[in-house]
Amino acid sequence: MGKTKTIRLGNRLRYPITIVRLLKSPGDTVKKQDALMEYSFKWYKEVGDTIRGDTWEEEQTTFADWCSPSDGTLKSWSIKEGQVIKQDGPCLMIDEDCSHEIQFQGLCAICGKDMTEANWAAETRDTERAPISMVHDQTNLTVSTTHAQKSERELQKRLLESRKLSLVVDLDQTVIQACIDPTVGEWMKDPTNPNYDSVKNVKTFQLDDGPHALVRKCWYYIKMRPGLEGFLRRISTMYELHVYTMGTRAYAQNVARVVDPEKKLFGNRVISRDENGNMYSKSLQRLFPVSTNMVVIIDDRSDVWPHNRPNLIKVTPYEFFKGIGDINASFLPKRQDLLTSAPSTNGVKKEEKPAEKNAKAVAAGKDTDEVTQEQLEEQQSALEKQINERPLQLLQEKQDKEDEEAEKATVQSDDSSSSRSSSPPPQRHKVLLDDDNELEFLEKHLTQLHKAYYTNYDQKKSKRAIGEDVPDVGQLLDNLKAKVLRGYQIALSGVLPQNTDIYRSEIGQQITSFGAKLRSTVSKDVTHLVVNSAQPGTAKLNAARRYPHIKIVGLEWLAQCFAEWAAVDETPYLYFKDDAKNVAATRQEQGDSSDESDEEMQGVESSNNLLKTPPPKRSKLKLTLPGKAEDDGDVADEDEDGLLPDEVEEGQMSPIDGLKTFNWGSADDELAEFLASGSDDDDDDEDMDEEDEEDDQDFAPAEESSSSSSSEDSRASLKRKSRSRSGSPVTRKRKLDDDDGEEEGKEEEDGEESSPAKRIRRMKSQRGSSLRNQYEVAPDLPTPAVTGDEVEEGGEDKGENYTDLDEEALEADLEAEFAAMENGEGEWGNEAGEGEDKG
Amino acid sequence: MFFLHNLERRVLLHPSYFGKNMTELVTTKLVKDVEGTCTGDYYIIAIMDTFDLSEGRILPGSGMAEFTVGYRAVVWRPFKGEVVDTICTSVNQHGFFANAGPLSIFVSSHLIPDEITYDANATPPQYTNHSDIVIEPGTHVRIKIIGLRTGVGEMFAIGKIDGDYLGCLQA
Repeated sequence: MGKTKTIRLGNRLRYPITIVRLLKSPGDTVKKQDALMEYSFKWYKEVGDTIRGDTWEEEQTTFADWCSPSDGTLKSWSIKEGQVIKQDGPCLMIDEDCSHEIQFQGLCAICGKDMTEANWAAETRDTERAPISMVHDQTNLTVSTTHAQKSERELQKRLLESRKLSLVVDLDQTVIQACIDPTVGEWMKDPTNPNYDSVKNVKTFQLDDGPHALVRKCWYYIKMRPGLEGFLRRISTMYELHVYTMGTRAYAQNVARVVDPEKKLFGNRVISRDENGNMYSKSLQRLFPVSTNMVVIIDDRSDVWPHNRPNLIKVTPYEFFKGIGDINASFLPKRQDLLTSAPSTNGVKKEEKPAEKNAKAVAAGKDTDEVTQEQLEEQQSALEKQINERPLQLLQEKQDKEDEEAEKATVQSDDSSSSRSSSPPPQRHKVLLDDDNELEFLEKHLTQLHKAYYTNYDQKKSKRAIGEDVPDVGQLLDNLKAKVLRGYQIALSGVLPQNTDIYRSEIGQQITSFGAKLRSTVSKDVTHLVVNSAQPGTAKLNAARRYPHIKIVGLEWLAQCFAEWAAVDETPYLYFKDDAKNVAATRQEQGDSSDESDEEMQGVESSNNLLKTPPPKRSKLKLTLPGKAEDDGDVADEDEDGLLPDEVEEGQMSPIDGLKTFNWGSADDELAEFLASGSDDDDDDEDMDEEDEEDDQDFAPAEESSSSSSSEDSRASLKRKSRSRSGSPVTRKRKLDDDDGEEEGKEEEDGEESSPAKRIRRMKSQRGSSLRNQYEVAPDLPTPAVTGDEVEEGGEDKGENYTDLDEEALEADLEAEFAAMENGEGEWGNEAGEGEDKG
Repeated sequence: MFFLHNLERRVLLHPSYFGKNMTELVTTKLVKDVEGTCTGDYYIIAIMDTFDLSEGRILPGSGMAEFTVGYRAVVWRPFKGEVVDTICTSVNQHGFFANAGPLSIFVSSHLIPDEITYDANATPPQYTNHSDIVIEPGTHVRIKIIGLRTGVGEMFAIGKIDGDYLGCLQA
């Protein structure tokens, strides 16, 4: 146990000193504070009469003892009697009894001595000998640097023997999502609830760590990320897993128990914020103080790992309980992640940035403990809020309401075609969807990384180049990632606020870490322009459109690339897929704002959008719309030629299968009736056509979908009750305004187009504008169509008492399809998007 | 080591409790306040009986009544060199923690016999000699205390198990 320690004189002495006598000789046992030698030093003292000012300085010589700062056996002196020493330096070696390498609560864990005693003989306290805390579940057990190195070498050896790496796993929103909204508990008990299936696998536990009466004994609901069990099981053969969470100790242990009931995966390697020692960031050095060469992190936030970015694999946050976010994140700065879905609107994340607040408080001279206390209270109140306000319940209620209204609309509009009387309970939509596949990618990446690491290690080993150094996993990770987007030059538009340093921004760092070059301006080198579809900037967008090779993509593309570690096909993410897409988006909005459009209308809509209109319908369209027949006919032909949607080829069920049983006869009747009654329909169509053709002739198929669907729309909206009528024209007007805006934006491109296209467009825009004026007046005027409507409504009311079973099923199908479209946005817009590229 | 110790304490009683069974109330309050606490030098395990209950004195200003109560309690004071039976609570690469009643004791790997080594691959991690001895959370261990430190209302100890008759207790 004994260890030789060199002891210095220390800088508290009044140098120069003269060694007078050595009191102990080598081999003697010395104790702390024993006098080891005598020395003398000279100094000047003011003597004389200070009152009269009659003073002079006189040299004094003082003799003093020098005492041992530690226990042990004296090994050797490095000073001699009579030597004059000018400055601090080593003076002797001591074989220490105990070097106090492990300490627990101020006690040396090896010799049991109290380390906190202050001692006049020693310059530093003994507690400073063991400054490193590296145990997961304790902060008061500390070790010395050498001991830390030793135990880490052992760990490294063990890992290399079993060919593993260390993996530090974050809990919240990475592998699980937790929520304390009691609504979840109610849903779990209620099989009739639409979310029952989703919350079936939610695990619960009760925690008693809230200081407030309300949060005390509250239930935590834990949803594991889909496929987590298998993921961890397989990953644990390659990695030794550690849990590192910002939750409390009790929380972390309970979650670990949920995720890993047999403690096989994590064992006791769980660290929480109670042991972290820092409320705002995580650090690998807390667990691996010496070397992080073999450690990989998976976390949904990179900002909490300020010093360990190279080792971090960023995971797309898991959001199962919508709007809840991370219940343990209130200490952390607000997430500044652009690639994640919309920020939560309620629940815990609403507060002021704690870090900022902290800074403010510090500036105000507040105690840090006080701040922490404040934040604790803040978190508590946030949790309370979640319990009281039940954000999930509100969400579901909203969804139910929407459904209900959609239901009403359906019943009202469809009773002409419905013939059955039984009314099944309305299909409620669930707000909780369990559709996450991040772990699949993650497993792939981790496997890849593990393989790369050990290939590298074996190579080094075979060359015998391996000494103490093992390959650095951070470096390998960088190499792997840098391959992903190598050669890409990416510019951002509307993604970051102006005046921010894009190279330092989170997204910028991520882009460069994946090997792409980041460009602040659009030039001809740029290969991709990433556009934030929520707020597209125009300058860069226009600049980029001048270069045909620049692919203009949405942020989703970037997110997907980051998730998959692959340069994914841009086609589904192209920003200018076609204008039909925009139209569809508006239409959906419209549907929402005006009670979700009626069922048959949706049927036609979706079929048109997907370019899958069954032939009979199409021919009827031609028949009933003689005025449009020429345009649409051409379009329809092209449609059939080469633009069948992917979905069909992939063998999926057609989303309009439900339409097979649809009563086309009644729809046609209505159509005919409508056409006889008004001219609104026409002008709308023209507008759409005009807008579509601006871009390119290749857009024709998309155009077809938009134009015919919008005609359906106008028909449907006319047919709706006067209540819904008042809603729809407004949104349509808005859409028209949008069109105008786009038109202006695109004028640049117009010059490049062929002259026939131009002519057609001009013609149409003329037509369109005149009609638009007329249109804008129309909704407020009593038109013959309204009268027709009212007559029809009488019939509808009668039919409201019974609902058609078929209609129900159909509606369900359509809703599902719509949901799918929203998720995998853009699949159906592929063809049009390619067309855009060519142009 | 356990002692029967005569102690004295001042108990405050709220005016709403003034009445016939005040003595009883004072005793109850004493038990509630004192049992299970650590004074820094020893733990008060249980109160045997009370005696010398003084007359109540109303404190000016608050209206509370102050009683001085003498009581006899069983206290436990751990000593350096004392051997205690403990239950292991957690194990790590530097050693293991064990609880002797209210006292948390750390046994470092230096003070564990050489043949008992740390096995990180076991679930949960344990100290074992790969035959009969396994120290993991829940194991009963006999420990000799080699170091003690007292804080305000708390005590910490360092122990060892390399010595005769120390270590894992076979149930």
